Amino acid sequence: MKHYTDYLSFSEALVGFVQLAREEGFSTGIQCTKDTIMVSLQELWLDKDIFEYALAALFCKEEEEREVFSSLYKKFWRQKGTVLQNRITRKNNNNFSVRKASTAVMLGTGSSDLNESGEESKTTSGANTDETAKLTDFSLLTEQQALELDRLSEKLVREMSMRIKRKRKKSKKGAISISESIRKNIQNGGTIMNLAKKDRKKEKFRLLILLDVSGSMDKYSFYLLKFMWALRSHFKQVEVFTFSTKLVRITDFISEKNMDLALSMVSYNAKHWSSGTKIGESLQNFNEEYSKKYLNGKTMTLILSDGLDTGEPEILETAIQNIKLKSKKLIWLNPLKGMKGYEPIQVGMKTALPSVNYFGSAHNFSSLLELENILSHA
Amino acid sequence: MVKEPRDLIPIIDELGYVIEEELATVLFLMLKLEKPLLLEGNPGVGKTQIAYILSEYLGYDLIRLQCYEGLDVNNAIYEWNYQKQLLAIKIHESGTKSEKEKEDMIFGKEYLLERPLLKAIASDKPSVLLLDEIDRSDEEFEAFLLELLSEFQISIPELGTIKSKNRPIVILTSNRSRELSDALKRRCLYHWVDYPSMDKEMKIIKKHQPDIESKLAEQIAEHIQKIRNLKLDKTPGVAETIDWAKGIAALDGDPNAIYNSLSCLLKSNDDIKNVREKLFN
Repeated sequence: MKHYTDYLSFSEALVGFVQLAREEGFSTGIQCTKDTIMVSLQELWLDKDIFEYALAALFCKEEEEREVFSSLYKKFWRQKGTVLQNRITRKNNNNFSVRKASTAVMLGTGSSDLNESGEESKTTSGANTDETAKLTDFSLLTEQQALELDRLSEKLVREMSMRIKRKRKKSKKGAISISESIRKNIQNGGTIMNLAKKDRKKEKFRLLILLDVSGSMDKYSFYLLKFMWALRSHFKQVEVFTFSTKLVRITDFISEKNMDLALSMVSYNAKHWSSGTKIGESLQNFNEEYSKKYLNGKTMTLILSDGLDTGEPEILETAIQNIKLKSKKLIWLNPLKGMKGYEPIQVGMKTALPSVNYFGSAHNFSSLLELENILSHA
Repeated sequence: MVKEPRDLIPIIDELGYVIEEELATVLFLMLKLEKPLLLEGNPGVGKTQIAYILSEYLGYDLIRLQCYEGLDVNNAIYEWNYQKQLLAIKIHESGTKSEKEKEDMIFGKEYLLERPLLKAIASDKPSVLLLDEIDRSDEEFEAFLLELLSEFQISIPELGTIKSKNRPIVILTSNRSRELSDALKRRCLYHWVDYPSMDKEMKIIKKHQPDIESKLAEQIAEHIQKIRNLKLDKTPGVAETIDWAKGIAALDGDPNAIYNSLSCLLKSNDDIKNVREKLFN
């Protein structure tokens, strides 16, 4: 690590510091270098504290960067010879190593007993392969069907999002543009005869997804996650969280363009994968930490979970009511609902149900595509 | 104009705002470098107030634009005065003016309603432009701001480009309800406004409630620090602290004033219950 005494002149040291900061992950450009020199010309460097504050205002763009900057500053401009510990991790993780083992757990192949000739998959035979893959319960997919589904899913999701957008567009009426109308009607002496309309404004659409990745969801969560990945590229604002006993925000990972990389990043970061379920506590945690940021009256909240909660039902009740209050619509998709004879009688599901606007199944791809109807009618 | 950042502290203090060295430095730089300043922080920590104080210190007009979802050019920059335009058309209906002349007339400057951004750019006097809660606006509006903040000019199709005569001092505030774009951040100086320390909070209380006893101010500040550490629906900011101090002063003589005036500080029934349970039992 360089020190300002390693440079011949003060201005060289300044430029060196900007470069160093860039290497450490700060986004500093030429403008920043110029500003840094301007700052020094104000003779602020005479006071080390003031100089640090001044440079921090130029270099830091987030609260979290401030501390890292402080330590970088101290090392460069003050004492010599210590190693910098806390680099900023950038969003772009190109060198990310793919973890095969954890993907296996996500796939459910690590712990599940795949029944490839299960009864339910038999009932769907006879349709063409695409349809079969769409209708088969995720937990009963054969490897071949899984591959087909992969191929299909992106296409279907793309089509679905196109249709949602189209429907939303059609259902809106443009507002009248008064200024355009006046201009259009000057020839009529200002009497408004022909109305000019404004371009339709695109309605903001926020989607918040809370995905259960606990052990009981093992067979489903991987496919649901893939579905999330396909969804996120088609909606402008999608936030995705996973939960089991802990809540983890995975939006940044899932926005990765390469699906395999995205999924392995999620599995790497979501260390609570396949553990127990504390839905109530996870949702409470969401309310405390994130709801102010991600929930407003325009948010559609989507919970994907089997509702098998091992926590206190009271916590779940309050948490889900709070989420309901703050979102436009609360949708709960439950993979178990696809099973014959399923009834939401488990404590968790029973507690949550009164707050839910729409309760649907999520056991196969076709049930996920049902989302289209829900989202387009929002 | 002050010579160094520390000189700002007593001046700002005099105006009724308690400021620490770091923020003073940032304000000093903003004035020197003529760069916009982005202030981020939780609600109620006094971000907006900084703009007011600054305009008072500089003697400039404060022009404020409250951002919200759906804020568009008509509300932020300019709009035509339709009623006046319609009237003008009626008046000149039987006149000799050609259509082109009529159009030029009703799209002239006197038919223009200046909204905050245009006002700040077109003003003859220097001003402080406050873009409040920029995180609430749409990304499209943010993108539009980029151009404004680097060029300080606005183009109106009917009138041409209007360039700023006096570059306004721009302050943007954000509650960080969403991340702002890197491009916008790059054009600004950045400062995170945190909840005040106990010492600072005491100073703030005394500033707004000069007659308050030191002991009571200390008690209030101490309680606030504890309350902020609890998990609440809405963590109280500095504004609430001041309200609370005023509330307690108004209940002069009530031995349980602190307990009874909690509603000045907390804005939800659950929070009040929670605090009463955890701190007063």
